[in-house]
Amino acid sequence: MKRRDFFKKAVVTASSAALGTSMLKADVTGQPIDNRKVSKVAFPEKRPLIMYSDRPPLLETPRDVFTSALTPNDLFFVRWHMPDIPTHIDPETFTISVNGLVEKELKISLNDLKTKFEQVEVTAVLQCGGNSRSAFKPIAGGIQWGSGAMGCATWKGVRLSDILDQAGLQKDATWIGFNGSEKAAYYETPNFIRELKLDELDDHVILAYEMNGEDLPYLNGYPLRLIIPGTYSDSWVKMISNITVTNAYKHLFFMDVAYRVPDNACECETHEKRAPKTKPIRKMNVKSVIGYPTHNSIINHKSHVVVRGVAWDDGHGIKQVLVSLDGGKNWDVALLDDGKLGRYAYRTFRYSFKPNTLGKTTIMVKAINKIGHTQPFAKDIKWNHGGYKYNGIDEVTVEVV
Amino acid sequence: MKKMIAMMPLLASVLFAQVNEKIEVPYVAFPVKMGKGFEAVQANCLMCHSFGYILNQGRQSRKFWRGKVDKMIIHFKAPIDEKSAKIVTEYLFEHYGNGKEK
Repeated sequence: MKRRDFFKKAVVTASSAALGTSMLKADVTGQPIDNRKVSKVAFPEKRPLIMYSDRPPLLETPRDVFTSALTPNDLFFVRWHMPDIPTHIDPETFTISVNGLVEKELKISLNDLKTKFEQVEVTAVLQCGGNSRSAFKPIAGGIQWGSGAMGCATWKGVRLSDILDQAGLQKDATWIGFNGSEKAAYYETPNFIRELKLDELDDHVILAYEMNGEDLPYLNGYPLRLIIPGTYSDSWVKMISNITVTNAYKHLFFMDVAYRVPDNACECETHEKRAPKTKPIRKMNVKSVIGYPTHNSIINHKSHVVVRGVAWDDGHGIKQVLVSLDGGKNWDVALLDDGKLGRYAYRTFRYSFKPNTLGKTTIMVKAINKIGHTQPFAKDIKWNHGGYKYNGIDEVTVEVV
Repeated sequence: MKKMIAMMPLLASVLFAQVNEKIEVPYVAFPVKMGKGFEAVQANCLMCHSFGYILNQGRQSRKFWRGKVDKMIIHFKAPIDEKSAKIVTEYLFEHYGNGKEK
């Protein structure tokens, strides 16, 4: 009963936050909901996170985790599509199958994967295409995520291309289907399958068994998941059990209907007039999130405050992060880390300032990548019905005392 | 030192699996709004997903909720008949609606 009351409360606060932003002007996109508390329930291998659903599990990482380039495994967000996730996988007997239009069908054990192939690592951001969806007005369809449906980890595994080389592709091989192990309640429900075109796959695509030096947590896809640096996470199939090579594209719900944006230059539409054509969300746009301070942080007058956070894009790399303390009129350059984790990783930034006025201060942050793309103000974010690819300028309001 | 060496193979196999037993995903109670049509929601929706999945979509139009029900029928093959689909849509719109038809 107590638990139920807690969620009731959490939901009430969440909806009041939505009202708060829409009071500025009706139907103008604002900041994502940012006052949700972590759940009292901890999921397997996880610390308590912001929780939206238990079946399938949907967990969000709180904002204050985003001050470091790597997101700890037990704080890493979770998103599944089907309610029935295998709850036990025996690493001794687990195999992944490679079949379809190959010269030689393969069944590879985890041990073979770890010993018979070249081992590679990539540090890459994993972000849900619907991250920050709660910012969109009118409310877009889907889970009303805040800014924490994302994380960054060092993934270790084997190149997909090395596996395909060993199987040998037949001449007309064009598509590769990846099958996750989760199941729906009904047998008839289609499995979670993604198909990628062969020419979309480069050497950065890996099958990972390790995340930040540990086994993948079950809820992040133990024992094997696909890593496609630079793209949104809908293609990063978890608990992969099967890879099938084909010559024809199959029609799949999660490819043809979900995770798509309008196929026009602004990738936008209106609630009244939906775009006739859509395309997959694919590559991430440039974005940054403040990890410290957070909303309603109390900071001391004339103390040295160091604003910290993370910035990333689809792999072009972050050139600059700018901070504004006057509502976006003037921008100052933040310091960036050395970037040694590579172009697909979070780039951490820090910016020190001395608050000179008492009361509320809003801190805004925007990133610019190496091809000059930057983030629009939240109010200028163009709408799409699925609430995908939000990358408005992030802000937090703190209290100077 | 001898002891250390003897422990090595054991250590390796322990490292291999962080969790050696079945994991258990907790059941969470969500604040359900009781009312006309909830039984149909229970019978047709909660078989496949939690109530949280519904209420965390935000307040939406009648058309949106009917669209979600149709998506479950068409794409996810949920065996929901038209009568139940209508009842479920009404329930969702009444409790999680934004007052707009479209």
